[in-house]
Amino acid sequence: MFLIFVLWAVTYVGIFLHKKWTIPMAIVSILYTLAMLRFHMTDPIPLSF
Amino acid sequence: MTMTMNDPATDPSTIRLVQVMRLINLVALVGLLGVLAGSLFLQFGVGEQPCPLCLVQRSGMIGLAVGPIMNLMWGLRPAHYAISILAALMGSAGSVRQILLHIQPDDPGYGPPVLGLHLYTWALITFVVGIAGISVLLLFPRQFAANDQGILKTPYGLPWWILGVAMGVVIWVVLDSLVIAASVPFECGLGPCPDDPPDIDGAGVVGGGLYLLGLAVVAMVIGFAVVARQRRKVSSES
Repeated sequence: MFLIFVLWAVTYVGIFLHKKWTIPMAIVSILYTLAMLRFHMTDPIPLSF
Repeated sequence: MTMTMNDPATDPSTIRLVQVMRLINLVALVGLLGVLAGSLFLQFGVGEQPCPLCLVQRSGMIGLAVGPIMNLMWGLRPAHYAISILAALMGSAGSVRQILLHIQPDDPGYGPPVLGLHLYTWALITFVVGIAGISVLLLFPRQFAANDQGILKTPYGLPWWILGVAMGVVIWVVLDSLVIAASVPFECGLGPCPDDPPDIDGAGVVGGGLYLLGLAVVAMVIGFAVVARQRRKVSSES
């Protein structure tokens, strides 16, 4: 989970240095967070669909 | 018959619209700052450690803040708004997942409720309001015609102290995000986080409040220093 926030910190560094890779970095951070969300989806939702 | 066209980059009504949009972005950032500061208060003041899904939602909040920060630092662009929408969608996926885990009527939910709702429900409301708000802002495409380069390069006559406060808020959000980042290894190490982390000894209401106040003061000092440096640079060039 720590890497999620490292990626966001790098994104912030990109904003302050006005780097072109900032927006791709933000998208990588979002996608990695989604991967971590999927990784932590272990408990079943208590509903019978 | 001749027609005169105003240059959108210097048209007063366009500049006014840019100023209004900047103000809305700043207010949104202050709102997100409240959420991030509240989560830090719960963690360090009350001693309640965040669960993995809470960290996903914090990541969504940090991503939601990236758009307004880029709009203020780089100038208003549709891509900046897009990043915030994508981050809000990601964060709301975490919120919905956590709401569904506690959906049954006899489930007390995770953590203490605030104003009758759990924090993950408030987070979902924040993400949805964020997406709706950005959608409304995108209804005004003339804001992009001014070729805005951000509050430092194109202040459009804004007083220096307003620029200082705006930069202070930006730095404050970044500092809060960095503190959140720095706290994760202490809770989870470098691997996955425990599903139900144990509470820790918090610093109490006063201690947590002083901690947040300290962060605010540091952020404002850095914000005003950045603006003062930019003013010196501009005056030496002219």
